[in-house]
Amino acid sequence: MISLTSYAFVSMILFSIGVIGVIARRNIFIIYMSIELMLNAVTLFLVTFARYHFNMDPQIITIMVISIAAAEAAIFFSVIILLYRSKKSLDTDIFTTLKQGEKL
Amino acid sequence: MSDFIFIALSLLAIAGAVMMLVYKNPMYSALGLLISILAVAGLFALLNAVFLFMVQIIVYAGAIMTLMLFLLMFLNIKENDLPKEPNKYLLIGIGAIIMIPFNVVILKAVSNLPNSDMEIMEGTFGDIKPIGMQLYNDWIVPFELISILLLIALIGSIVLIKRNKINKENS
Repeated sequence: MISLTSYAFVSMILFSIGVIGVIARRNIFIIYMSIELMLNAVTLFLVTFARYHFNMDPQIITIMVISIAAAEAAIFFSVIILLYRSKKSLDTDIFTTLKQGEKL
Repeated sequence: MSDFIFIALSLLAIAGAVMMLVYKNPMYSALGLLISILAVAGLFALLNAVFLFMVQIIVYAGAIMTLMLFLLMFLNIKENDLPKEPNKYLLIGIGAIIMIPFNVVILKAVSNLPNSDMEIMEGTFGDIKPIGMQLYNDWIVPFELISILLLIALIGSIVLIKRNKINKENS
């Protein structure tokens, strides 16, 4: 009874929730978590197709996605610490230093 | 049997993701994402990806989420430091309406594929040994590039924190 479509349905719902999190929330931690959720949904899709086509290459791509997510986490957290130290806030609307016409 | 496990795991994954989206406090959101990640790891196990099941639990739930919870406690965020989100639910509704057409297109494309049996099966598909053979034979160059990327991330995060300290001493 479990078909390809049901796995695709779950991973599309997870991906959509990730996109909605990036659109709707303003807390920078929630945005980071939404990005992680989107990566997870894509890896679920890849692993589903690995099982479907009986081929192990998508699983190896998934391992690479997970290691890139770990590297991304290290950089992202250090940037968050720097931003929180200088602005004392987690609101993404305050981080506008690179905006055109903004004075430092 | 595996139908029930699939339904339970997918409901847990979606519930955790919704919990992450809705809660105001980032600590509760991180716990919701943790539930979602563990449920996705269970789905990997249902799809015969034993090694990925392990990697998902160790790297995501074990390393990244622990680092994140540690950072949340380390920054000691108070309730009034959190950004105010007055029209959060309106934006969530608009985002859901925007995402519906994409989901319909992809589900239509996937449901036209010929159906096949997705049950758990015997054999070595997805075990550590065949994955390792393929990783070190066919994918050796991307694997080495990933190691360089991890090294750069390590050095970069140290440099970012360190430079801030030097600037503070100069000023």
